[in-house]
Amino acid sequence: MKQSLRASLKSEIPFFMVVPALVWQVLFFYLPLFFVIYISFTQQENNLFSAHTWENYATFFAWPFARVLLRSFSLAVGTSIICLLAGYPIAYYLARRAERWKNVLLFLLVLPFWTNMLVQVYAWFALLERVGFVNRMLSYVGWISTPLTLLNNSFAIYVVMVYYYLPFMVIPIYAVLEKLQDEYLQASRDLGATPIQTFWRVTLPLSMSGITTGFFLVFIPAFGEFVIPGFMGGHKYMYVGSLISYYYLVARNESMGAAFTVVSGVLLLVGAYMLYRLFVHFTPAERAS
Amino acid sequence: MKALHVCKKALLPFFVGVMYLFLYLPIILLVVLSFNASPYFYAWDGLSLQWYRELFTSTEVWQALQNSLIVAFSAVALSLLCGVLLVFYLKRRYLRKTTLLFYGTLAAPEIVLAVGLLSAFVYFAVPLGLLTLIVGHTLIGLAYVVPMVTSRLQEMDDALLQAAMDLGATRGYALYSVVLPYLMPTIIGAGLLVFIISFDDFVIAFFCAGASAQTLPLYIFSVIRSGATPMINALSTVLLAISSLLVLLFSYFTIKKGGGDYA
Repeated sequence: MKQSLRASLKSEIPFFMVVPALVWQVLFFYLPLFFVIYISFTQQENNLFSAHTWENYATFFAWPFARVLLRSFSLAVGTSIICLLAGYPIAYYLARRAERWKNVLLFLLVLPFWTNMLVQVYAWFALLERVGFVNRMLSYVGWISTPLTLLNNSFAIYVVMVYYYLPFMVIPIYAVLEKLQDEYLQASRDLGATPIQTFWRVTLPLSMSGITTGFFLVFIPAFGEFVIPGFMGGHKYMYVGSLISYYYLVARNESMGAAFTVVSGVLLLVGAYMLYRLFVHFTPAERAS
Repeated sequence: MKALHVCKKALLPFFVGVMYLFLYLPIILLVVLSFNASPYFYAWDGLSLQWYRELFTSTEVWQALQNSLIVAFSAVALSLLCGVLLVFYLKRRYLRKTTLLFYGTLAAPEIVLAVGLLSAFVYFAVPLGLLTLIVGHTLIGLAYVVPMVTSRLQEMDDALLQAAMDLGATRGYALYSVVLPYLMPTIIGAGLLVFIISFDDFVIAFFCAGASAQTLPLYIFSVIRSGATPMINALSTVLLAISSLLVLLFSYFTIKKGGGDYA
């Protein structure tokens, strides 16, 4: 009896080894997500959650909230598009042209991933201030006579958003372009295509998977971003992330915060899905492997 | 015609150069300003180490650093332990699908993760502090450790494990003596990655650390918001140096010995 118990326990050991990670993931990721949905339907008083209600959601059917959602959505789309336009040539250069400098340039591209985001945002103040580096350089060259207002506006927000998210776009596109086989480009050239035709009809379609990955690596976090718009926009505009953190940390109304998180989460999913369909539409059906 | 051709050839490198300048000008300026004797970034008064002196004597910075290190090391240890055990002991045919379970963490915006954790903590009246922060960072850590270790394990020849077991090793001993050494470069790489992600993380800490536990990013945030002192330049420079060192270590362990496309 004792023997068989030990034997059965022994065979169960693998089960116990697997449990911690799974429990952790379910308990602290999937359950909390359900909790957000759950408390979004409650009303809250003094940290007590009660009364199932739709009221929290009813609040958000108002123009100011729609504007916050639209602002975050357009920031996310805008940042992704600019990152794509600026990032594609970089990825192309790294993958196909840079020979000797490739490793150094890749290192420099990956370094921001490992660098504190606040440090990167903070670094821009010295550049964009009224008496900052950019204004001083421009007036030194003689292009401007009065300093430009470069901070606390959407220009500053977009500059720093692109600055921060650019590597997220470049890396996946680089990864695809690097694996692109020279034979395809050769074939295209042999068949009489100009370099520009080759790019539009061969290289670009074949790098769509990298573009799609990069786009969503930028788009999804950019939608929830509140640190960069906060600092660079001078806390003038509300974004989805800033409103959520306002509800949770300042107003201490977790129910309202949760409801707004659900609303913006649904919008993000729908928006991301539509954009994804768009990308699939432009991806060649028969992918060369 | 030839000049035009040269122009066209130089266009791409020129553009890439400008973009790298865009990426690095702020950082270079930051590093230079950290040695500026003047407290104003628009005036240069010569070299000085006074901001570093101020940095290293600030008790608030040391306290925040200590908190950050406690959280980061705990998150690394916990996510590596749970993650490696999961990958090793899970039946092979479930591995692919189980790994998908962990991708969810990275697919959601970080703020959703933070808000989810905070909602659960508030609902169950869990006091916020370093522990709740460790919970959050371990969660993010698992999302990197599990896929990385899985892909490395799948590259391993099953015959190695079979041979160890045939020679009488228990599963535990085979893990320790055969599999673990094989996985080591990836484990170290994943550990470094989780460390820096936890060490740099602001969003989870902002929501889940509470008022009492201040980490380094929270400290930087509060200083920037209340009007930065040039000491932040020095702190940033030190953090940059640490980041560069960790990237080099990471690429040494993963790129040379295999381990995948994790930046």
